[in-house]
Amino acid sequence: MQKMVTRDEPLVSRRSTVRRWLQRVDILFYALLATAVGAFAYYLYFYLTTPLIHGLNGNAAMALYLPFLLQHAGLTILISLVSMVLATLLGFAGAQGRLTSFLPARWLTTIYVEVVRGTPVLVQLLFWYFGVAQFFFSLGFDPYNALFNLMTILQSNGVVAGLDQNVVDAFFWGAIGLGFNYGAYLTEVFRSGLQSVDSGQHEAALSLGLNSRQAMRRIILPQALRLTLPPFTNYFITLIQDSALLSVLGFVELEQEIGALAYPQHNTPIKLFIFILGALFYFVICFSLALLARFFESRFAKAYRV
Amino acid sequence: MDLLVTWLPAFLVGARNTLIYCGISFPLALLLGLALAEMKSARYVWLSMPAKIFIEAFRNTPIITQIFLVYYGVGGVLAASNLAHFDNAWVAGVACLALNYAAYEAEVFRAGFLSVKRGQREAAYSLGLSAWQAFWRVVFPQAVPLMLPAFVNDLIYMLKDSAIVAVISGSELTSALLIATFRNPGHALPLFSLALALYLAMSLPISFVARYFERRLRAAF
Repeated sequence: MQKMVTRDEPLVSRRSTVRRWLQRVDILFYALLATAVGAFAYYLYFYLTTPLIHGLNGNAAMALYLPFLLQHAGLTILISLVSMVLATLLGFAGAQGRLTSFLPARWLTTIYVEVVRGTPVLVQLLFWYFGVAQFFFSLGFDPYNALFNLMTILQSNGVVAGLDQNVVDAFFWGAIGLGFNYGAYLTEVFRSGLQSVDSGQHEAALSLGLNSRQAMRRIILPQALRLTLPPFTNYFITLIQDSALLSVLGFVELEQEIGALAYPQHNTPIKLFIFILGALFYFVICFSLALLARFFESRFAKAYRV
Repeated sequence: MDLLVTWLPAFLVGARNTLIYCGISFPLALLLGLALAEMKSARYVWLSMPAKIFIEAFRNTPIITQIFLVYYGVGGVLAASNLAHFDNAWVAGVACLALNYAAYEAEVFRAGFLSVKRGQREAAYSLGLSAWQAFWRVVFPQAVPLMLPAFVNDLIYMLKDSAIVAVISGSELTSALLIATFRNPGHALPLFSLALALYLAMSLPISFVARYFERRLRAAF
């Protein structure tokens, strides 16, 4: 397969100095763009809020939106991290399963990957929350009670008692649903990463007297990491975006909070503005990660350029 | 079993609507993506900068946020300015899917055009073709087979992402599933299995097509 080149060079040689300069400071350009967008949002935010605080329509709470959004952005990041850890574990197990010579394990992981990648993540999340959770509930398992009992054993159930039961349940099943979904994608990422390392490397490691586990840990994995890190970061970005779907399950993360703040508004421009403000929060989180992914890509591409 | 037979027609209508969503949004996304790709690789900053901002904005926000923004935010503003007849789930859903995927297709187009060797275009210029002719007759036909697998993959992604239109009751498969689950509490598992099977039945054939294109591409090079 011919390699897709992502070189950004104009084909005609009449390049203006400005253009060349802009190419060189691409990262700076994006940073400036982000700052400009942020500053604009800040300006718009205070432009819209200031008259209302002293106004008569009782909308003074507008000034409090930003902290609420920040707080729930933290929840979004928290659940994304938890699900990503779960997905990484599943992905590692799945990649081992796909590469093993034990046939039933290979079939199982293939079915897992195909089914998960062939169905929408929203339907899977609903399936976990309304299907599997109800099933486990009828068996007598409830994440909230389980957590409460666990913390009782640890002598500190006061931490849990303050939480809402629905929130704990949605967090638990949402994290499992997202982790299960992204485990399938990461299975493929890790598999292709492990397969991309030349088999001679493994043989050479074995012939040097390393055992199979050492060869995997010291020779194969560090080389595979180079190829897996950029797609890994990209999947983390899409996971953060998909965690917005948890608002459908009633988990009060960023998206749900945006809605909760926006729906009661009767002033339509302000309503639209709250939605844009919320989208900007997602943009800031995901875009900084996207820049990181791009950095990884350029960094690892450089390592192998001859 | 009785339950599934009762709900199957509604699910099939939903599946058809899912296909209609994709069938309208994907060509729109391709057209817009091509325009964006050309804009982004333009020499003029005033052309490339809006395209860059558009692409980054749509790729870095969740599609559900965009749908809520368009349906409730923009829809509210439209309704306030007496344009309420644009305020419906089909318009918002198709618009969001098309705009979101246009950002992804633009990157596919750009990578595809860049992977055609520069010499091809220079050779076309030296044969006296104009920029327009060089693009449509030399670069574009060579780039299309390279881009086809990526397009088909994105079509599968769109098929799955169209489920999100259910949050604004877009009357597609997931909406039918939600209605069925709420009408029959306690029978979630069979209904979900039916919906998942229908989604698989739609996405697996497309993924076979994607693999066929990939294999042909690998054979060609």
